[in-house]
Amino acid sequence: MEQIMFSLLNGVIYGLLLFMVSAGLTLIFGMMGVLNFAHASFYMVGAYLAYTLQPLTGFWLAIVIAPLLVATLGVFVERFILRRVHAFGHAHELLVTFGLAVVIAEVIKILYGNFPVDYRVPSSLNFSAFSLGGMEYPFYRLLMGGVALVMFIALYLLLTRTRVGIVVRAAIHRPRMVEALGHNVPIVFMSIFGMGAGLAGLAGAIAGAFYTTNPNMALELGIVVFVVVVVGGLGSMEGAMLASLLIGVMTSLAVSVNASLADLLDTFGQGEWAREVGGVMTLQLSSLAATLPFFLMLLILLTRPSGLMGEKE
Amino acid sequence: MMKRFLCCSAIALLGVGEVQAESLKVALVETLSGSQASTGLLYRTGVNYEISKINAAGGFRGEPVELAEYDNQGGPIGAADRVRAAIADGARVILQGSSSAVAGQVSEDVRKYNLRNKGSEVAYINMGGEALALTGDKCHFYAVRTSPNAAIRFQILTKGMKELGLLGDKVYSINQNYSWGIDVQNIIKEQAEAVGYTVVGETLHDVNKIQDFSPYVAQIQQSDADTVLTGNWSNDLLLLMKSVADAKLNVRFGTAFLDQPGNIGNAGAVAEGHILAGVFNPELNPASSALAEDYKAATGHYPVYVESTAIFGMQLFGAALKSLDKGNGDVSAKDIILAIEATTIQTPTGEMSMRAEDHQVELPMIIQEVSKDAAFKVDGSEYGFKPLKAYSAADSRDLVQASCQMKRPE
Repeated sequence: MEQIMFSLLNGVIYGLLLFMVSAGLTLIFGMMGVLNFAHASFYMVGAYLAYTLQPLTGFWLAIVIAPLLVATLGVFVERFILRRVHAFGHAHELLVTFGLAVVIAEVIKILYGNFPVDYRVPSSLNFSAFSLGGMEYPFYRLLMGGVALVMFIALYLLLTRTRVGIVVRAAIHRPRMVEALGHNVPIVFMSIFGMGAGLAGLAGAIAGAFYTTNPNMALELGIVVFVVVVVGGLGSMEGAMLASLLIGVMTSLAVSVNASLADLLDTFGQGEWAREVGGVMTLQLSSLAATLPFFLMLLILLTRPSGLMGEKE
Repeated sequence: MMKRFLCCSAIALLGVGEVQAESLKVALVETLSGSQASTGLLYRTGVNYEISKINAAGGFRGEPVELAEYDNQGGPIGAADRVRAAIADGARVILQGSSSAVAGQVSEDVRKYNLRNKGSEVAYINMGGEALALTGDKCHFYAVRTSPNAAIRFQILTKGMKELGLLGDKVYSINQNYSWGIDVQNIIKEQAEAVGYTVVGETLHDVNKIQDFSPYVAQIQQSDADTVLTGNWSNDLLLLMKSVADAKLNVRFGTAFLDQPGNIGNAGAVAEGHILAGVFNPELNPASSALAEDYKAATGHYPVYVESTAIFGMQLFGAALKSLDKGNGDVSAKDIILAIEATTIQTPTGEMSMRAEDHQVELPMIIQEVSKDAAFKVDGSEYGFKPLKAYSAADSRDLVQASCQMKRPE
């Protein structure tokens, strides 16, 4: 029981981290109609900036300033790069963000080297929150989860309860009409892009210290984040939250299941045969844990292409 | 008219002289770009260091050895393409190290090329693909491995840790789910009885895809293990180690690749007391310190991670070339391989030689611990690797695998 509680908690917190990064991605998709390949790069830039700032400003200030800098970078990217290629259509925007991701990764390698940097959780935060079944639960994980939750609530309220939110949602749906009503739509888009980038930067600044800050982190997380956005429904904030939690909990629980297809076939008396066949039959579920999100994505695309909470197209 | 005659007779005269050997072309087919480039670039540094030594000592048959670099971009497909290009450019010897998956591809490509092109074979020196099959059922005459393999690493790791009193009774085996990781898991299980420990749990997981290792740590905790043995490298090792420390589990790690740059710097105190089975340690003796200092003078840093394996591999290659130096004309891949088999070198860590039966190198292994007392600190941290015990090549060698049926050329 404790084991399951532990797995659930782990899964939820990892899911919340995924949400922090995918929230911005799904917002930007809703707005531009294009997946931003460089989004996970903002996550990486956030981590590296926080690492650079930490000795100068201390940890707390670093995780506040780094996301702001990343947001500024995002604004810059939207204003001077994406807006220029927007006129040429989606394919061009997609290619530009792809190129940007490559450039950012190479610049990071030039500036910080090929290997992980020693960005670590400050020792004042490195204690355990509680003990569960003989295992200490690190406080920092709870902190990560907490930040993600606060972020979700703030975003949700901003989008649904404020005038700014109304303009944003309207601009996503009917940009021409909003423009005709006298709102400056390009500025709305630019701020959303900046905010999305900033959120990814915040996730990077916080998670980079807990996991590792290395030049591959964008690549490693980027793929899972795309899966989250597709499963949740492109453009849907609630969908991103649901999919993040689903994927987090699913991978976490799967790790403790040491069962294979052969074990399943045992119930029909065919287990022996399956073990002789080997291959897929004896592959344990736990060794596939990190692959499960992709199966889920496949399943969702087959049965409900618009995603869990996506709007029907 | 007269002029033309002069020019042509001059060429004719040149041709009359002794048959001049073309310089030996060596191709490094490594991962030089992409996400796994960090390892490939280290192999490059190590190879360049040693090849420039060979050339400084006069090269091969009066000509410098020509080293060309090819970027395989980290995957077997890129490697297959680059191997073709390297052979087309006249390479006689192919060097490669990072990733067993790539090594498997290169080895097979070389084998097939040699079958189809009798008389112009190429040799493959595997500097670091450590999966057992490469000297097992995939072994062939034209491929040699100059690095340890899964069996050598983990037989000596378990034995060494046991003798030093660092191995607990309950061992958890966690590895990456591909040829190398599966080999390591099998060796850990095989060794249990001989060395004296129980494997209380085993996990194979996806390779460098996992961000959050806490579910795996929960498994380790539940198994009540006191030692974790793992062949993991890169992020899979670092994240696992940090995750275990976050859960405040009191386990000791036995590893094969803990010395990858960045690991100790990032993990800090978390890594203290963990064990590595490696081929080199600069603190071992004056000769190894001298090698480390010389390497630093040439490249700017002490040899780390796979660099020492690359250096030793190239030293063996260099010594083999030296034994062939007297001959004339072009050297064949067959002669190079036979020379490597016949060569024994003395490295700072001890004697190293190539086994003829399966082309697996036999070399000394060093059990080392992450400690503040280490003379050579790594990653700019206060930690380094302190050598605990060195095993000679004879002590650390593995058995020839029965699956290796090498067909030797007549």
